Amino acid sequence: MTFWKLFARNRSAVMGLVIIFLIIFMALTAPLFFPADPFSLAGQPMSPPGENGFLLGSDSLGRDVAAGIAHGAKTSLLIGLLATLVAVFVGVIMGALAGYYGGFIDNLLMRATEMFQTIPSFIFAILLVAIMKPSIESIVIAIAVVSWPAVARLVRGEFLSLRGREFVQACHTIGMNDIRIMLAEMLPNCLSPIIVIGSLMVATAILIESGLAFLGLGDPNIMSWGFQVGAGRTLLRSAWWVCTFPGIAILLTVLAINLVGEGLNDALNPRLRERT
Amino acid sequence: MKIKTLLVNMTCALGLALAGSASAQEQGGNFVYLVQPEPPSLASFLSTSGPIGLVAPKIYEGLLDYDNDLNIVPALAESYEVSEDGKTVTFKIREGVTWHDGEPFTSEDVAFSIMEILKKVHPRGPASFAEVTSVDTPDATTAIFNLENPAPYMLRALSGYESPMVPKHLLEGTDPRNSDLATNPVGTGPYVFEEWKKGQYILLTKNENYWKEGLPYLDRVVARFVPDASTRTAAMENGEVMYGAYGAIPNIDAVRLREMDGFSVSTDGYAMINPMALVEFNSTREPFDKPEVRKAISLAIDRNFLIDNIWFGYGNAATSALSSNFSATGLYKAEPEAYPESPDVDAAIALLDEAGVTPGDDGVRLTATLDLIPYGEDWRRAGEYMKQALMPLGIEIELRYEDVPTWLKRVYQDYDFDLTMNYFYQLPDPVLGVHRHYATSQIRQGTHFVNSSQYSNPELDELLAAATTEADADKRAEIYGQVQDILAEDMPVMNLFEMEFLNVFSDKLHGHDASALGAYGSFDQVWIEK
Repeated sequence: MTFWKLFARNRSAVMGLVIIFLIIFMALTAPLFFPADPFSLAGQPMSPPGENGFLLGSDSLGRDVAAGIAHGAKTSLLIGLLATLVAVFVGVIMGALAGYYGGFIDNLLMRATEMFQTIPSFIFAILLVAIMKPSIESIVIAIAVVSWPAVARLVRGEFLSLRGREFVQACHTIGMNDIRIMLAEMLPNCLSPIIVIGSLMVATAILIESGLAFLGLGDPNIMSWGFQVGAGRTLLRSAWWVCTFPGIAILLTVLAINLVGEGLNDALNPRLRERT
Repeated sequence: MKIKTLLVNMTCALGLALAGSASAQEQGGNFVYLVQPEPPSLASFLSTSGPIGLVAPKIYEGLLDYDNDLNIVPALAESYEVSEDGKTVTFKIREGVTWHDGEPFTSEDVAFSIMEILKKVHPRGPASFAEVTSVDTPDATTAIFNLENPAPYMLRALSGYESPMVPKHLLEGTDPRNSDLATNPVGTGPYVFEEWKKGQYILLTKNENYWKEGLPYLDRVVARFVPDASTRTAAMENGEVMYGAYGAIPNIDAVRLREMDGFSVSTDGYAMINPMALVEFNSTREPFDKPEVRKAISLAIDRNFLIDNIWFGYGNAATSALSSNFSATGLYKAEPEAYPESPDVDAAIALLDEAGVTPGDDGVRLTATLDLIPYGEDWRRAGEYMKQALMPLGIEIELRYEDVPTWLKRVYQDYDFDLTMNYFYQLPDPVLGVHRHYATSQIRQGTHFVNSSQYSNPELDELLAAATTEADADKRAEIYGQVQDILAEDMPVMNLFEMEFLNVFSDKLHGHDASALGAYGSFDQVWIEK
């Protein structure tokens, strides 16, 4: 069966994919539908949804909530993807080296990984952002720093089990160098779990970013969903729409990414292929 | 002979107060109140940072206190006497007062606190006690202040919040800036420091040896730190805390609680404080070294937008370097040209052109970073508004929001900022609260809440010096008129609005409003109805 057919067997995964495409579409077209700066004071403050020309209402300064959601989509997705890429890159290198060489290097790298894993990840992220001062770069770095150990452990496990296989030994015999064995032979064989964990990490990264922004540690110059929720939180009892709609956006995105991740797992995991 | 004396028999006054409502006041209980944010230390002799003021005056006392009509009330000084020429002030120090560690409080402590601590390391002390040349202590209960010139404003600066008396025996010979007292204070006040659980609370217990007989009523006082505004409101609603001042409860929630049973809101207790929201410019950095640029920014801001939408109508738009509250003493002068009623973007752009700050190819004239005072969400919203309001001028603002110590260090130690949003207390006299913004002598690196703009104008310095020693009210008003004209023209600091802080409290709480200092008072008369 082709990959797509396997993936499409999982209906909810397809639905997740559709939602993700819609959100990407929203992020890309935000400047068309909402050409103004999402921070601009567009009109009457605290307008309920549908009034004064605000589809989803306005916040305490008269900023358009809908414009914020559309522009915030880009921030959330970008941070999610960038942080995941960095984390996967670092995690794969660490895990591959540890799993391939074993022994002293393995010990050294895994103890380092464990050190990161013992600190609760969200609190660690708060600490890092607070030290580096809130900006989009520091948030990406913080999320990557707390996310890579999971990838490293996964990749190490895979490499450990592949290391003794015949095809790897054959590579040694014909004199391939270590880097080429790792990159060209072993890595492609453990790509599927990396893709699955990576896709789920995007969702976690979006949640961490929202959480940071909610706590006031977001980049104050960039519109994001977490920022909207954080800024609207004090108004919850008098203007529910300010944080409700961005909250729904976060929920939908994270849910969709999780569904897709699940679908990828079903499609890529050979042991689950025959699952009905 | 013009001798001002104040001889109040404290026991008599207290007796009357107790007789009036002795049966009503209830003993004991734990009083939990909100402090936002957590104070960086409790060294009120080093920093006037707001949250320190909410806790430290319960531990440290001043020579005098002030009632709600701003009358002087004796505290550690039983009485005082000003000489005819105004150059000698003699304080009679109360007998039998002890520090929390058991040592007696004497005139030696007074002399040391004024000369060695407040005059040297306090942010506002050097201004308050500028004229004090020495303090004589002929005996343990007499402290004689010798002044270079008359300084009537000094008697307004002797509260436990403004000028705390500190223990000589613990500070002498040490570096007050690194004193252990910062986290383990020892005072003479109604409550004794017990424990500071970082990030959670400061616990104070009843001072059993307090010199005011029968006081305090409470067993314990707990200052709670709750970083999140909604959680603070929830804590108030479900009775976990009973009192929040200085914006601890956001205005939007205060407006709601006002309508609920069991809660009240007041704006009392800020008369000595006179708070002003403002923006400080770093006048050593281009292009903020140009007065035109600073003035242009002032012209573009809609002050009423901030008051109406962020502070829910509490506040008055600033119209001069001095708060309009000073009109009571005749010192205030409106400067409508620099502080227009509604924003004037065209005039602002003309000023920028005049200053040679012209737009680049992308229409941007200048980019700058606006630091925000890290005291809560309102200030963030205000910063976001400023950023939008300055865009039509071609001014691109980056916002920066850091934690309190980092921000204080950046602005007052490193001078590493372009412009920063802040608020200052103008206090009951401009000499105490306003001069520190502008005088050249107030460019004091490392001292908080002084002239961080590093603005220096010899002409203004002369006027400020003249206003300090001028005894004639009309002449003084004239001098301050000139001061305000110069500051409207130069604008090293742009005032935004005169703030009105809210106290939100449970109706079961009594006696919290006994002093003109409100939440910065000692809380010695607070009691809880069971």
